[in-house]
Amino acid sequence: MRSVSPAAFAFVLIALSPLSADEATSPSADADRKVDFVADVQPILRKTCYSCHGGEEQEAGLRLDVKARALEGGDSGKSIVAGDSANSRLITLVAGLDDDTGIMPPEGEGTPLTAEQIAVLRTWIDQGAIWPDSADVASSDSKHWSFQPITHPPLPTPNDVAWVRNPIDAFVLKRLDAEGVRPSVEASRTKLMRRVYLDLLGLPPSPQELDSFLNDLSPDAYERMVEQVLSSPYYGERWGRHWLDLARYADSDGYEKDRARPHAWRYRNWVIDALNADLPYDQFSIEQIAGDMLPNATLEQKVASGFHRNTLHNTEGGADPEEDRVKKTVDRTNTVGEIWLGLTVGCAQCHSHKYDPLTQREYFQLYAFFNDINESDIDAPLPADQERIRVATAAYAAEHATLTAAVKDYEATRLAKAQAEWETTALDNAVVWQTIEPISATSKHGATLVRQDDASWLATGKNEVSDVYTIEAVVAAERVSAVRLEVLPDPSLVKEGPGRADNGNFVLTTFRVTASPTNGEKTPQTIELATAKADFSQNDWQVEKAINDEPADGWAISPEFGKRHVAVFEAKEAVGFTGGTKLTFALDQTYNRGNSHNIGRFRLSFTSGPLPATLEGLPADVANAVAKPAADRNADEQNRITEYFRSVDVELTRLNKIVSDHAKQAPAASDVKAQSVVQVSQPRPANIHIRGDFLNQGEPVIALTPAVLPDLAADESRRDRLAFANWLFAADNPLTARVTVNRVWQRIFGRGIVTTVDDFGIQGDKPSHPELLDWLASEFRQQGWSLKQLHRLIVNSATYRQSAEFRPDLAERDPYNELLARQPRRRVEAETIRDIALAASGLLDSRLGGPSVRPPQPAEYSSLTYANSAKWQVSKGGDAYRRGLYTFFQRTSPYPMLMTFDSPDSTECCTQRSLSNTPLQALTLWNDPAFYECAQAFGARVAAEVPPSGDAEQTTRERASYAFTLCLSRLPTDGELAEVIALYETQLQRTTADSEVAKQIVGKQTVPQGVSPAELAAWVIVGRTLINLDEFITRE
Amino acid sequence: MQFDNAMWDQTRRQFLTSSASGIGAVAFATLLQQDGLLGEDFSANPLAPKPSPLPAKAKQCIFILPAGAPSHLDLFDSKPKLRELHGEKPPASLIENVRFAFVKKETAVLAGSAREFRRHGECGMELSDFLPHLGSCADDLCLIRSMHTDAFNHHPAQLMLCSGVPRFGRPSMGSWLTYGLGSEANDLPGYVVLTAGRGSSGGVSNWSSGFFPSTYEGVVFRSEGEPVLNLNNPPGIDREIQQQGLETLSKLNRRRFDHVQDPEIASRISSYELAFRMQAAAPELIDLSDETQATLDAYGVTRKEPEKFNYRGGGPHVYRQFATNCVLARRMIERGVRFVTLVHASWDHHSNIDEELGYNAAMADQPIAALIKDLKQRGLLDSTLIVFAGEFGRTPLWENRGGNQANVVGRDHHPAAFSAFMAGGGIKGGQVYGETDEIGWSPVKDPVHVNDFHATILHLFGFDHMRFSHKFKGLEVRLTDQGGKVVQPLLA
Repeated sequence: MRSVSPAAFAFVLIALSPLSADEATSPSADADRKVDFVADVQPILRKTCYSCHGGEEQEAGLRLDVKARALEGGDSGKSIVAGDSANSRLITLVAGLDDDTGIMPPEGEGTPLTAEQIAVLRTWIDQGAIWPDSADVASSDSKHWSFQPITHPPLPTPNDVAWVRNPIDAFVLKRLDAEGVRPSVEASRTKLMRRVYLDLLGLPPSPQELDSFLNDLSPDAYERMVEQVLSSPYYGERWGRHWLDLARYADSDGYEKDRARPHAWRYRNWVIDALNADLPYDQFSIEQIAGDMLPNATLEQKVASGFHRNTLHNTEGGADPEEDRVKKTVDRTNTVGEIWLGLTVGCAQCHSHKYDPLTQREYFQLYAFFNDINESDIDAPLPADQERIRVATAAYAAEHATLTAAVKDYEATRLAKAQAEWETTALDNAVVWQTIEPISATSKHGATLVRQDDASWLATGKNEVSDVYTIEAVVAAERVSAVRLEVLPDPSLVKEGPGRADNGNFVLTTFRVTASPTNGEKTPQTIELATAKADFSQNDWQVEKAINDEPADGWAISPEFGKRHVAVFEAKEAVGFTGGTKLTFALDQTYNRGNSHNIGRFRLSFTSGPLPATLEGLPADVANAVAKPAADRNADEQNRITEYFRSVDVELTRLNKIVSDHAKQAPAASDVKAQSVVQVSQPRPANIHIRGDFLNQGEPVIALTPAVLPDLAADESRRDRLAFANWLFAADNPLTARVTVNRVWQRIFGRGIVTTVDDFGIQGDKPSHPELLDWLASEFRQQGWSLKQLHRLIVNSATYRQSAEFRPDLAERDPYNELLARQPRRRVEAETIRDIALAASGLLDSRLGGPSVRPPQPAEYSSLTYANSAKWQVSKGGDAYRRGLYTFFQRTSPYPMLMTFDSPDSTECCTQRSLSNTPLQALTLWNDPAFYECAQAFGARVAAEVPPSGDAEQTTRERASYAFTLCLSRLPTDGELAEVIALYETQLQRTTADSEVAKQIVGKQTVPQGVSPAELAAWVIVGRTLINLDEFITRE
Repeated sequence: MQFDNAMWDQTRRQFLTSSASGIGAVAFATLLQQDGLLGEDFSANPLAPKPSPLPAKAKQCIFILPAGAPSHLDLFDSKPKLRELHGEKPPASLIENVRFAFVKKETAVLAGSAREFRRHGECGMELSDFLPHLGSCADDLCLIRSMHTDAFNHHPAQLMLCSGVPRFGRPSMGSWLTYGLGSEANDLPGYVVLTAGRGSSGGVSNWSSGFFPSTYEGVVFRSEGEPVLNLNNPPGIDREIQQQGLETLSKLNRRRFDHVQDPEIASRISSYELAFRMQAAAPELIDLSDETQATLDAYGVTRKEPEKFNYRGGGPHVYRQFATNCVLARRMIERGVRFVTLVHASWDHHSNIDEELGYNAAMADQPIAALIKDLKQRGLLDSTLIVFAGEFGRTPLWENRGGNQANVVGRDHHPAAFSAFMAGGGIKGGQVYGETDEIGWSPVKDPVHVNDFHATILHLFGFDHMRFSHKFKGLEVRLTDQGGKVVQPLLA
């Protein structure tokens, strides 16, 4: 709804006038002269354009100093169309020809071009926009370090070769030599073991594991401990959680509705299994990015591609599905860019990256790779279940085939005979329902009853709270033994009826029929109805209640809406008159509670046949057909008889029921499903979204990789998601390997070799040890992209084994540990805090994988979700004590403990968690019932596992020491031990003096044999203190 | 150097290796510092108060979020013309390029408000008859009738209002301000959230710290029972046992500190000490027994709640909850809390707007007016900014979901125009800013985008919104995203 303001209009005129004059006087004066780019054009561009469209900045994605980029254009499209200045945006803009876009340079950014300058540009373009390569400025972007090929640098030779355990150390020590800094001493074995366990498994070593390691005096004890750790299944959980941070995994959709995703965990299982199996990182990646597209994709590969399903999903009322799809595609593009390329491509969604070498066009070229995704949920039995299901299914199928064969055999050999027999007696005793054609149908309260083609009546118009329909009809029959009411669905009714209530229901409170002779000689007599039956009655609203003369109840059919229902009413004695019978029906619907409950559409019929009358009877057309001699029947009639007979033949029905009953016992195809994706069948065109707005579509784009990176070596027809995934692992891709080893390094050392782990672009930090980074990256590739091998390499290095003790000489010199002359202390992540508390207390349920669980959380907490939508059904038994990564992640009300300790909110890719230190964390470890339960179990464990020694003081000392070791995997110093014992003794006095306090503190915890509740309570308090220690939640 | 970079450097260590602790003064950690065991530049408390970079009128903020989006047309923006056109079709040109959540364009009709508007105060501000108490504060209010936003659905629009972009992952307003200014509260969190009734569409993301550490996240306080999650000790653990445990804990942590000299341990010690103080301070905060009956009456804490209602508003007692939250907000301001968010979530009146909006307005009107007057009377209004804003407005059209006209008026989502008000904290009261067209469809004078709104709020707190930024994923991120300009006429 843009309007041209007078001011803007005037401005355009002024801007235009000199040009018009120029064109008028010398329309092609300059056109004859050959314009030279270097002499004539470049100076103009340099003077007036480069400050915003040059090497420093590229407003609107347009760069005019580099030939390729200038000719490619900007976010809004081509700006120079060689040979056609009239259609060149550059000219439109510098001449201010379009009042919508204004003039370039904009006011305040430079002076408008003169008419001569514009003419030069115009002529240059018209002459073909010749730009000699010699005048091209190479983009400095392509010289950026991270875009250069990965090298395999030779190993340096540091001074102290003895310190070097593997090549990592050579690089690290060389740098330390240069700085004149000595590495730290090796950490103690207890510290090393806890470090390795926390880094690789996220769990502390058990006391037994600790013992056996400390007693292993062989020279390679450490390396063997590392091997044992790397083969532990907990490895997949620990590093799986790291991966889930990147994959923005959650168990709910996010946004207002935030619906649960009951199958999300199946992807998590895949991640854990893949890491435990050390699936090479290239496969691990390709299967997630494009597993669905692999030739003959396996189920697990399809599950892997569920990576793309972790995006948010908006089901809020009124949300636009296409907008949501675009948002997801943007998120997929950004996430892949961040994880594998280490580039924050997302900024270029709305505008060209100011500093990074990615234009908005290039962004949408990347986006185009992911624009082919359609979502799909698939059956995904777990690998362990697949064989079991296969065997069971085969056995079932064999059995089922026998039963089906029995049906076939009966049909082939005996059915025809049975039918022939049936036909001979079919008309004897048959109940045939005759549809009644009323003379009139009226409503007491003004509803309009309209006859339909099938002789049914549809109520329209007024719908009062209670109504009575009266139907009069004359039938030729002289005997009426039963009448039938069919209520029918109709599209005009709510839920298609058959009632007119706002849920499709009705209540027939009383059904009455009177009969009289057609000649009017006798007053109508009420037909006494003896029985009523129906195909379905609502609970407590049985059809019998329609003939009980009680207006407060009646026949209703909830919840079977939208279907035909049938009620049959049998007369106590058949009624009828010679020459025909007049019938008057009253459908009384005086149900007056709530809204109107009138019948919406109905049909009446009667029978003269014998009782009991079946609901459906022998249909009139079948009866007519059977009445004819077989030879006189046409094909339709014969088929109709057969069809009907099949539906009533006892033996066929019995055999079919056996088959259908058996089908119900088919082995469940496992109710495990997975969120997956498939490639859309018709390619979805992609466009630039101007300013990131999906409704504002710019130029179309094709799938292409960014220009500063090696080209995607694939033919045009295969520029798809799978080709892109393979390209990430191409030999000349400079980013994937570097970004990955850097991120692994950061997980272990707390700081990447490149500290900006998610930004390897121009804005990112430079590597602290560039050769080390390249060596690791090339080694990673040469070792078949094995993550476990990479971990092995890192944790076996001398660099890793250094102590985390204070280095006064480095405190000022290297506060951020860039030089790697020591190990950092670092608080462990939220899930690990939960895990180590559960492990220390012995409560941990260490089952691997499976659906997410809901450990107890404050009841009020989920009430923060929209309309209290996230119900938190607390998990029972061991599920309440599972590792943190299995905790159900509800995006709009995440488990509070996790968030208090800086878990990512799972809305976008998180490469690095923040690590805060807050009083709420203190309150959580102190008081969260889950942690207090750990303290209680911990107290009991200490008391039970260290039996009394006879000497009370000695027992206390041993228990204190054991408690300390359980938490910190090391023995206490004398001073520390004294503190713990002092606390125990003080508390014991208190709990002994006050048995009520002791009882409360012990709670539901079983008191071990030989221990008093007071003692146990004191150990609980000690345990509670120890799991609050800084060192407990810190990896040193 | 940009403000945040200066601060970033100062506390870089805390953020990069790990962040230091929470709230208020430091005891044990201060000791360590006095002992010379911590470096000069080490601050154990990232929430220590900091001066604003520019002179500021506002020091604290109470942000009232009526989530669901209240109708500007029935509360703040009187449109006689719309009433005249009630039931008529809107011009096709008006709606042809507009998105609606539920309105069906083919059968859409205009809907005038059933409310009566009256002028209030010396300034003569027009407000609906649903807001008599706020009317009595008119000369302190700055009513903006020309707000507009980018987002269209509840959750994105609430994120837009709370964090400046309609997406996840950004810090909320309160996080920015506590990050920039710390907090004066010694024993309480710097950023507190109080909710009444059911949850909002945005849930906790409305007070998220985004990419900042959780130190700057809103802490949810409950008005009853345990005021902060996990504040109470487990059964049997009394304050004495707690204190003895804490002493041993501090001593053991101190021993470790002596050994490894990691300032993080000092932060941890101080966090525990602060938590211990909070255990005493928070219950005191929510204990209203020292408030006079007159005060409680003024806020409507004890007033009678309408008896019959279907509790769309989030269960019974929501009147008392909301009123109590307003009293608590004042008590928090008195104790130095930097930012208080009051959330009530059920203003999404797609149907039955007269009854349901009336219910909500009656719930909110008296307590908010009492809060403004109370702060003023205590001399706190000048330095406390009060903000009342929903995530968008509501259509001048009568909602006809599925093409069926409802019996009673409801209104659909309307990002093109809405109203918000502010008071105190350097705001020029007694004025109406901006105008919408004669049916309240879109601003025709002085439009205020949500980014402008934020720019103005930051200005009041002494920040240049263009310079108050934080580098994240390669981008200098601001609360005002890519836009924002300070709306000068709003300032006193």
